[in-house]
Amino acid sequence: MELQFEKIEKSYQDKKVLKDISVTMGTGVYGLVGPNGAGKTTMIRIMADVLRPDKGRILYNGRDSHDVGDEYRAKIGYLPQDLGFYSDFTGRDYLEYSAALKGMEKAYAKKRIEELAYSVGLQEELRRHCSAYSGGMQRRLGIAQALIDNPEILILDEPTSGLDPFERIKFRNIISAYSKDRLVLLSTHIVSDVEQIASQIMMMEYGVIHHMHSSGEYVKMMAGKVWLVEMSAEELVEYQKQAVISNVAAKDGLMEVRVIAESMPADSAVQAVPNLEDAYLYIFHFLPERAGR
Amino acid sequence: MSLFHFEFRKLLFNKKTVSLLVCLFILYSLIGFVTSMFLIGSGKSYSVYEELAAGYEGPLKEEKAVWAKEIYEEVSARYGTDTRMIARSVKDQPETMLALKYNEFTERVDEYWNGTPPESDEEPYGIALLEAKLSELEMEGKQNTFAYTKLSDSLKRLTALGEPEFANILLWENLFVNWGEHMMQFLLFIPLTFIIAPVFAVERSTGMDHLILSSGSGRRKIVTAKLLSILAASVTVTLIYVAATFIFGFLPHASLHGWDAAIQSVPTYARSMFGFRTWQLAVVGAVWLIFTGAVYSLIVGFVSSRMKSQMGAAGVSLAILFINVGLAAMGDAVTQRFKPLIDFGLANVTLIKEVFGGYKMFHVFGMCVSYPVMAVFVLGLIAVLAGFGIYHGQKSRTVV
Repeated sequence: MELQFEKIEKSYQDKKVLKDISVTMGTGVYGLVGPNGAGKTTMIRIMADVLRPDKGRILYNGRDSHDVGDEYRAKIGYLPQDLGFYSDFTGRDYLEYSAALKGMEKAYAKKRIEELAYSVGLQEELRRHCSAYSGGMQRRLGIAQALIDNPEILILDEPTSGLDPFERIKFRNIISAYSKDRLVLLSTHIVSDVEQIASQIMMMEYGVIHHMHSSGEYVKMMAGKVWLVEMSAEELVEYQKQAVISNVAAKDGLMEVRVIAESMPADSAVQAVPNLEDAYLYIFHFLPERAGR
Repeated sequence: MSLFHFEFRKLLFNKKTVSLLVCLFILYSLIGFVTSMFLIGSGKSYSVYEELAAGYEGPLKEEKAVWAKEIYEEVSARYGTDTRMIARSVKDQPETMLALKYNEFTERVDEYWNGTPPESDEEPYGIALLEAKLSELEMEGKQNTFAYTKLSDSLKRLTALGEPEFANILLWENLFVNWGEHMMQFLLFIPLTFIIAPVFAVERSTGMDHLILSSGSGRRKIVTAKLLSILAASVTVTLIYVAATFIFGFLPHASLHGWDAAIQSVPTYARSMFGFRTWQLAVVGAVWLIFTGAVYSLIVGFVSSRMKSQMGAAGVSLAILFINVGLAAMGDAVTQRFKPLIDFGLANVTLIKEVFGGYKMFHVFGMCVSYPVMAVFVLGLIAVLAGFGIYHGQKSRTVV
């Protein structure tokens, strides 16, 4: 299975939100990270076929997704950023309605609803009106509806917002187990959500995908660029104005500051083991600042 | 459950709407009950009227006509000639009421033979008048014109119908007023508007359109399900209206008297060229209300598919309805200019008295087509266009 974005462009009035996006995805988990307004949601919506690009097309196994139409959409499971609910629907109604939208057979749908409710920890809550659910429960219900028909392409826009740490770990495990032979695109602000499960991570800003590498490649790219520097709190106030800092921790009356820099930022600095978050800061803060953007 | 079941539930079979339907049923029942109960004053007056009228039913009798005329003149000398004023003044006087009804009937018989000049050039009525107009056209050698065919057809139908006969049809007359006057448009079409308006708009306002539009059934099958639910909801609401006004219109007097009378006995339908009995007109009227209600609901559905908010969809739909009503209520100078719009606008075409109460003919590609047939065609076309527009809109719809 292959999904190819071919020179996709999208504008809202005069603002170009996606600029010539060309990317090819196969099976596996793909992370899409970037700051607010990067164009992630627009890209996701185009992929979910709820928004049409101004230019370009998406090829599903070499065929224009627009021509494939219903057949393409039948392969999709989609969790939008803003999930809608009907006020008088229970959790079960919501999942049954989602199953009906996918054209699922009734007995199979019933079985899947039980399975998924258990997976996302809502088995005791399905009788309640979903409008009375907490934000986290609504998100879990949304994840269940996206998975209901075992979609070949799973598109998740900010899936972990509102989930507690335990639920996020559980969610990551579900997606990891699910992604075999399927394409999962996961858009998020939370870098750690994709660090461990994504085979490829796209870094997007101003409607452009700047990088697409594995987590390991990003970490490798950051070798020699992450430093630990100890300084007083007063020094830190001045220092943070000129440096890209990824973390600050109090240690023995001093501040241990994690700094992104291409050369040793201070005589006392020692190299640290980089992670994906460092790469995110490097790409979206360090490089633009250095380029004067 | 199938998509249709869910769509029907979202539209009608939910707590809020079911409560509304219960309220509507009570309102419609009250209207049927009250209009029937106080038809000619208190409930007992109707029983007396029914007994008295039994002796008058059938063809015109000269001595009864003279008696009725005398009473009418006496009443009009006292209360004036305004029929509403008279009706209000003679409440609980069944004998006087009967005389007035009989006097109206004698006038209708006279109209049947002679017409009531000055007649409309387009829709003349009365045997003698029609014969005169036909002779006039024959003298001018216009036997092959649409006007000649139309008048000749009218004459044939009028002759076949025969001279009107008197019948006690008060309860049926009341039913046809409830079903066929502008009040019906307020009582039935306004609730329909608010019930149907969310059908598509709710998906935008709740954000559910993301899931719908990205699903395999979200572009076509869901439209079919929604269209079916619109029709089912519209039929349900109309049936509630029809059933409640019918049952509670006849219940107070426990009588269906006049069920087999010719519809020409009902003053509003005196000039109808259709050979229906009153029960047949009731069936046709109910079917017509269901049909026109369904077409209007499809229009509301189309508006809803183009709007972001339910209230916006309801507002635009009501504006369409009331522009039609407003146009139809304007003077002849205006209505003559917009005749096709008036004839096939919602204000007129939804009223059974307009469609079945006369005998309008239309000249279409050399054929003479009656108003009901033409109305079915035009409304059918509007329904198909609305359905097509909804399918087309959903196909290209996006979330922003």
